[in-house]
Parts: sequence; structure tokens; C-alpha cells
Amino acid sequence: MQTENAQEDLWIPTTCGLCYSVCALKVHRVNGTVIKIEGNPESATNRGRLCPRGVSGIMLLYDPNRVNVPLKRTNPNKGLDVDPGWKEITWEEAIDTVAERLRKIRREDPRKLLMTGTVTTQDEVPFSRFFTMAFGTPNGWNSGAGNHCGTAEHLYGALLHASWAKQPDSDHCRYLLNFGSGVGSGSYYTVTGMAQRIAEARLRGMKHVAVDPFLSPSAEKADEWIPIRPGTDAAFALAMLNVLLHELNVYDAEYLKHHTNGPYLIGADGSYLRDETEKVPLIWDPVDAAAKPFHSPEIKDFALDGVYAVDGQRARPAFAVLKEHLAPFTAEWAEPITTIPAATIRRVAKEFAEEARIGSTVVIDGKALPYRPVAVMYFKGAQGHKNALLNCMALELLTEIVGASNVPGGLLGMNSCSVGEPETGQPAWIPKADRDGLMITGYWPSFPPPYPPKEVRATETIDLRGLIPTCPGSSGALPVVMADPKRFAVPYQIEMNLHLGSNYLMTFADPEAVARAFQNVFQVSFALFLDESTYLSDIVLPAASYLERLSHTADWMSSNAAVGEWCYHVRQPVVDPIAQRRSVCEVLLELVERLEMREEFYAFINLLLKLKEPHMLDPTRCYSWSEIVDRRYKSVFGEARGLEWFKKHGVLKWPKQAEEVYWKPSSSARVPIYFEWFKTLGEKVKAQADEIGIELDTSAFQPLPEWRPCRAHEENSPGYDFYAIYYKLPMQTFSGTYDNPWLDEVCQTNPFAYGVAINASAARQRGIEEGDWIEITSVATGHTVRGQAALTEGIHPEVIAIAGCGGHWSKYLPIANQDGKGLCFEWLIPVGLDNVDIPSLTQDTCVKVKVVKATDRGSKRSSRSSRLNDLNHLNDLNPG
Amino acid sequence: MVIDLKKCIGCTGCALVCKAENATPPGILWLRVVKHETGKYPQVRRVSVPLQCMHCAEPPCMEVCPTGATFQHPNGIVDIDAELCVGCRYCMMACPYDQRFFLSAERTYFPGHTTPFEQAGYQRHQAGVVSKCNFCTPRLQRGLEPACVANCMSRARTFGDLDDSNSEVSKLIRDRAGYQLHPELGTNPSIYYLPP
Repeated sequence: MQTENAQEDLWIPTTCGLCYSVCALKVHRVNGTVIKIEGNPESATNRGRLCPRGVSGIMLLYDPNRVNVPLKRTNPNKGLDVDPGWKEITWEEAIDTVAERLRKIRREDPRKLLMTGTVTTQDEVPFSRFFTMAFGTPNGWNSGAGNHCGTAEHLYGALLHASWAKQPDSDHCRYLLNFGSGVGSGSYYTVTGMAQRIAEARLRGMKHVAVDPFLSPSAEKADEWIPIRPGTDAAFALAMLNVLLHELNVYDAEYLKHHTNGPYLIGADGSYLRDETEKVPLIWDPVDAAAKPFHSPEIKDFALDGVYAVDGQRARPAFAVLKEHLAPFTAEWAEPITTIPAATIRRVAKEFAEEARIGSTVVIDGKALPYRPVAVMYFKGAQGHKNALLNCMALELLTEIVGASNVPGGLLGMNSCSVGEPETGQPAWIPKADRDGLMITGYWPSFPPPYPPKEVRATETIDLRGLIPTCPGSSGALPVVMADPKRFAVPYQIEMNLHLGSNYLMTFADPEAVARAFQNVFQVSFALFLDESTYLSDIVLPAASYLERLSHTADWMSSNAAVGEWCYHVRQPVVDPIAQRRSVCEVLLELVERLEMREEFYAFINLLLKLKEPHMLDPTRCYSWSEIVDRRYKSVFGEARGLEWFKKHGVLKWPKQAEEVYWKPSSSARVPIYFEWFKTLGEKVKAQADEIGIELDTSAFQPLPEWRPCRAHEENSPGYDFYAIYYKLPMQTFSGTYDNPWLDEVCQTNPFAYGVAINASAARQRGIEEGDWIEITSVATGHTVRGQAALTEGIHPEVIAIAGCGGHWSKYLPIANQDGKGLCFEWLIPVGLDNVDIPSLTQDTCVKVKVVKATDRGSKRSSRSSRLNDLNHLNDLNPG
Repeated sequence: MVIDLKKCIGCTGCALVCKAENATPPGILWLRVVKHETGKYPQVRRVSVPLQCMHCAEPPCMEVCPTGATFQHPNGIVDIDAELCVGCRYCMMACPYDQRFFLSAERTYFPGHTTPFEQAGYQRHQAGVVSKCNFCTPRLQRGLEPACVANCMSRARTFGDLDDSNSEVSKLIRDRAGYQLHPELGTNPSIYYLPP
């Protein structure tokens, strides 16, 4: 943009806040107006590039539909479509009201406070957690428990990769087997950086095999697309494991012996055999023909196969137990489940086995490291099912069996290991072994990490995460328990919700059921927009967007690529908050004072922000937000790199060392291929559930993988012959960006963004043609949503695919709420524990639907969709 | 310009960074990404193809322009002098790639409201004239690449001199069998695509 006659012409470094990737920005401000947002080329995170959302942040900043003043509800009735009757109030009145409520709750039982947040604000939500911890409540719910959160995937991230998320080694991987994740195609972690890295890998010749019901943005870029029936990925993976171990006899014995619990001896009861004195797991040394503690220096070799008698007990190495367990899961067994021909499964397994190059090494930074250039990726698609725990286990074992975990070419945890960097102040975090030799993460974004197993404390939380501590992310049980806490022996009810940016009505499941759980709660929303979930609010506070606020940190564990450089950023306001908008963190600091909880709060800040002397907060005085941020930076990065340094420079980076990226070969921590402790934990969960009288199927707490059908797979109601699935596009983040007119404009140019992808032949058999309005009715909820058919050959004939979280109905979102702006998938998914994977509390997103051609275009509340597939429509929008 | 369809992920970031850079009004996208599907289930290919002004060496739009508003820079970029454009739209009829846009009336993205960004940016767009991609000529004059090239998140775009056989673009076209869209129309476009 031309900037002649400008009195002010600035480029301000900051970070994007429109998804959890946290790309670095340079924002161009001329005479006080933001005129361009660019990627900051100094940053390793996005290397100067931005996705369509990042570029369009200007329209979020200046959207006149943003909340600009505090509001209070005047209509005492609450409901999905009930207008709250907003009345403008002063900030003073708003804070008085909120503080009074909080004081009352804290006096009675602080656990009655819930905080709902979104993962797109990696600054405000974690900081607000410090507030709720100091307040005294364990209850929080991040958006995404329905369609977005990796839940069980994050659990295995902790258990196998010491990381929240993982990525293929884009520098060396040669075979990417991708079960529906969006890596490299504009969703998943580090969107912008991985788009570049995976594009380079494509040119380098990495083969990408996409196993996906839909030819999704990611599958479009694959070398081979294998359409699969939804929710059956584990069957495919089990059959591959069967081919690897029973037909090809391919596995990385050295890796399994030294880096997994594969050699640990398993007794007849499924538990480890332990030695008498130290009580640590035993292995079998075939050279000395003796059982020895797994860490004994006397071990000459580890047995992976065979049956042994140890102190009169029959015992087998875990690997042998796994191998035997896999015997029935042949390619022929998987074919009718997955609809993938057995020959295809065998071929892929063979390609995977060959490309894993077991035994080969590569020299990196002067060190010879195992070279296993294959990676298995998956995220919500394969994981979001009734049997998430066992599905993910099957998928993860592919990587483990061939030794491709955290070695060059393979699957890498994101920032699992830091050896420490004295010059920048970054501390060391290194995965370490517990007494059983199994890995504990070096770092975990929430506390504590899932392993070692946490105590089972049934009635502690409102989301069953106390009872079931293996859920590391968003719990699918929260609305169920919240609606009826007595049934779960939870001794309190949620009375108040601090609602930070999550439109939970549109990102979990059946909005009516979720609304029922929330409608008796006093809800205070820090909101950018009056979205659907604020219809249930009592007070709405105008929140500053990421372009208008200062943050204590922008980065988190999964915003940095696995390879390349360490990189840290600043998030600072590029303009003063517009109108009466305020930073959430600043408002919370004010509430801390009003509630007289400074001492507890500062103690949490000192601990969790890792403040060091002389920068620790002294509770005898009150600090401003920018003072706290400055102290955070100085504590981590040293005296010279405080807030002022970051505001000026924007980015601090330095290269990662090979042993940080490829940390597994030098780590003594083993990972499980036999999840022994799941069984014991499941027994504890069962016992407590029985005690409080909840019927809970805990049978999936088992040490070895399995495929079990989802409810949808056993659904035979006549006419309900399609599976509905959800996927992500790079043009929208969850439900929060749909009012952005620029993103709306490009969505209208994409045939699938607002429409319903349906197999062309299957559609025509039902008399459905391109662009026809169709009605989609869920067998599970009975709700119907409407949209326009987008016919494609690129989708499994049994499947329809809906992108993103469109179909808004809030009257305060005038762009998003129009007919033809996508569909709200959540109407199709039921709320209830029988739709949840018990061990990981993952919500099943697999559902059977009836699809019929609509007889008229009439609209139903849950039914907004259309698409403009005419390439020239943009000229049509342009009258004249 | 060379657009590598093997690298392109169809994210539409180019369409929006173009909009941000050039402050194009509602309904006008100088750059779009279309999806092209071939084959039958399950042997299907879907390719994202970014489209914008092809900056033809023999531009039919220029030939039909009655006022000389459409002209070619010495570097080959086809541009429009808005002062000379009378809005007759012959050029839109002549463009075989459908990459010219007519702004019929001044509009803003939020009806009844002009954002500060639009206040600053829309001065460059007059109603009643035709506009299109000019390869970000103002950026080129400042020594920068076109916005779509600089921002592409899969680094699918390369900008350079097609007349220089040693340029990166010329090498890419040679090494990767780059092709023009509809060369049979004889307009000799300056955008080459690398096969997906």
C-alpha cells in the first residue's frame, strides 16, 4: 500500500492469534490505521508467510460487529434463540457485578466456578487458568472437545513422544502415511511452517499416502488416496501390524529391546513380572537363560520372543504378547471393516516396511543416528471415535514397531527435549525414566503430565477427569456431568462460567443439549463477538483482540516446528484497544485485587510463569500487566531481554541441536508398546465408578490395541445410509472466524467450504444434483441440517463431509448467519457418555445420517448452507 | 511468474494477501483459486489452480481498449490507467481468462460502515472502471516481490524475468516442464504452471 504523506509509518512485530499455530507478524500501521499484516521473515515459526486467516486479521480488528462496550442481559429467559436483550453498562458496573458473584462462590465452594476457553488464545486462556487455580476451582473446558481436540492423541503424545503433538520429520521423511490429519495442508499444528516444509518434502520425493474418507485438502496433495470407511483406521493399522509381524517379519529389534518395554516379561495376569527386591520389571536374557531386572548392567541380550518359566510363573516378553494378539487381525479381516482391499493393505504395509530401512543410519551433526524415514500421522479424524484410546494405540504402534519414533526421518514430538541454552536462558527439559524405566515427559503444557498415572479422584471435577485421569485434553463428559452432577456424586453444581472466547455451543455436539447444561449458569463472557454461546451470557465484556493486547507469552510447546530452530516471540498491541475493549489479563488482575486474592494468585504466577529472583512478584505490592510480562521475559531470557527488547525485536531464535530434535537414540527412557498400567488404572476407575453408582464400561482400559465398532457402525435404521464426517479447511478456524468478510469471500470460491461433499454417483442415485439443497438428518439426535450438495468423485460413497463450523444463527453475526454459509455439524452428534470413549473421554464424531433432496429451500434453525460453485460468481456479486 | 501446482495447497492465502495489499473492494478478487477434479472414484485427482491476470505478451484486452487505458509496461506487465478507463468493459469480453473486474459502485465490506482500512485503501479504486492484477507494480518499484509471491505459505510461487534464460523462473519452466494455460489462444501468458 502506498504511504505517501504519512506522518506515521511503522512495522510492528507481534504474533497472530487466529489459531494455535501462533505465527509471527509484522503489522504495517500508517497514521494509526493497520493497513497490512505480513508474516515476519525473522521467525522460524512461519518464515515470513501467513495463511488466509492471518492475512485477514485486519477485518477482525475493524469489524463493526465486534463487542465494544460491556453489556448486561435484561431478558431473564435463556435459550438458544432467546434474545438476551442486551443493555449497555459501564465497566464499573460490570466488574462490580462479576466480583460480587465471584466472592459469593469463593465463599461457598470455589469449584462452582467453571472456565471455558479456546485453544486459539494460547496466552489468555492459560493465564486465566492461573486465576481459576488461585481461586480454587479445578474446572475448565477448552473448546474442541467435540470436533477439534486431539484428546487421546495427546495422551499418546505424552506417553510415546514426550510432547503435546507430533510431526513427520519433514527434512528426512520418505513415506508419510497420513490417516486424515491436515499436516502441511493448512490445518494441524504450525500451519504455515509445515505448509512450506511438507511442500519441500513433496518435491524431494517423499511419498504421501492419505487414508481418508474424503479427498480432503491434505489428501489432495497425496501421491495416493485410499478412501476408508470412517472410524475404521485402527482396523487398517492392525492389519498392517499383522502383515509386518506375521507375514513380513519386519520390526526394529534393536529399538524394541533398548527403547521400549517390548522385552519386559508379562505374566499370565497381564501384568509385569517384577523382581523380588527392587520390584522393577524383569526381562529375559537369552544368553544367560535368566530373568533379570530391566536395568541390570549384567544383561547380555533381551529376549523379544519365547515363553519362559520364572519362579514357577509362565512369562512372555511384551513384544511376543503383542505379536500373538495381532494374529487374528489379517488384511482379509480388515477388508470388510475398512472397505479397503486386502491387497492394498498388504502393499502399503510392504512399502512402509521397506521404506523404514531398519538397520540403516544417517550422520547428522557428526553423529550416526538410526534412519527410519517413515511417519504415521493422524489427528481428529482417526481419533475422534468411540474407541479413541485403542484406535490411537494401533496407529502409534506402527511407528514404534519399526523404530521410527523421534529419530531422523520418522515421527517427531514437537519440542520434547531441550538441552538448555545458557545464552538465551532456556532451561533444559529432557524426557526421563521412572522406576519402571518408562518415559515421563520433560515438559508438559498442563500439570501434571498423564504419566505416571494420576490418582483416581472420582468426584473432584465436573468433567470426569478426576475419575478418569487419562483424558489429557478436553473432556467429552463435561456437559453430561454438568447437567446432572448428583448422578456422578459430584457434590456441587456449576454456578458461574468465565467464558473466554470459546463458542462451545458450536464446537462440541448437539447445541440444544449443551445449552441445557449451561443455561442455569451465570455466564460472564469476554467476547469478541456476540456469538451463539453469548446468548446464554449474563454479562458480556468487550475483549481486546490479539492485535490490541499484550501477552505474557505468545508461544507454547506446539507452536514451534519439531525441526529447525527454537523461536520465541512477543504479542503486543499494534493499536490501542478500540472503543471500550480491554485485555482479559488486565481485567483478571483487577478482579484479583477486588477479590483480595493477590497472595494466592501471585504465588501461582511465580510458580507457573517460572519467575526468578529478583523478578518474582511480591504480594505486598500490586503489579501492572506490563510489569508482570516484563518480569516473565527477564526471568526466562535474562535481564537484557525484557519486554522492551521483545517489543523492539519481536523474535528470539537459535538453532536446535540434533539431540534435541532426534532425542530418542540417546534417551534411556523406554516407551510402552504394551500399555500395562492401563489395565490397573481401569480397575481403579471401575471400582470408584461402582462405588458412586455410575455404570461405566471400562473394558477399553487394556494394554493392547483393538478395533471396536462405533455406534454408527452398528446402526441399521433404514434410510440412514451415510456417515457424516467433519474436516477442517485453511480458510476458517473453528467457529470463530466466520464473520470475517474476506474469509467469507474466499470460502465462496471453494466448492466445499460451505457445501456438503457427497459422492457424485451416490448422490445421483438419490436424484441429487450439483447445488441441490439437501436435508441431512442424524439418526442419533434427530436434528436435520440443510446444505447444498457439492458432488465429487473424491469421497467414499458411504460418506458426506462437512467443513468447519459454519451454519451460525446468532443475529449479531450478520455475515456468518446468512443462509449458505456452511453447516453446523454439531447438530448431528449426540451428547452422552455412550457416545464417549471412556478411557480418554473423547467424543465420538462418527454418525449415521439420512440424506434426502430438499423439496423446498426453506430454512431450519440448524440449516444454513449453500455454496456458489460457479467460478464467475464473484462477478455476479458485483452488480453491473 | 511460475506457480508450482505440486507445492500449492489451495489455501487461498494468495487471494487474500492480494486483497490486503491492493485493498480491492468487496466482490473483487484479482486472484482466485479454483479446484479442478479429474477421474472416477477411487482414482481421483483434485488440483488447486490459482488464477489471476496472465500478463499475456499479446494481450487481447489491450487491443480492444478504445482509450489506451490498458497498456504494457516495458517489463511486459499489463496494467490499467484508471484515469483513462471509461468502463466500457470491452477488455472483460476480450480476456479469455476472465481476469478483469468492473467496480460498478463503491461498496464496503460491512454495509453502512467503512473501516479505517477501507478509508485508507479504497481511494485507489474508482467506481466505473475496470481493474485487475498488476503483479503488484508498486511493490516491484520498491524492490519487493508481488504480495502473492512473498506470502505464499507453501512457497509455490516464483517471480522473475522470463526473457532471461538463467533466471530462476526460466530454469523451473525448463526443469519441471512448465506450461501456460490455454497456449492455443495465442496470447502467450506470462504465468507458467508446474505440473502437480
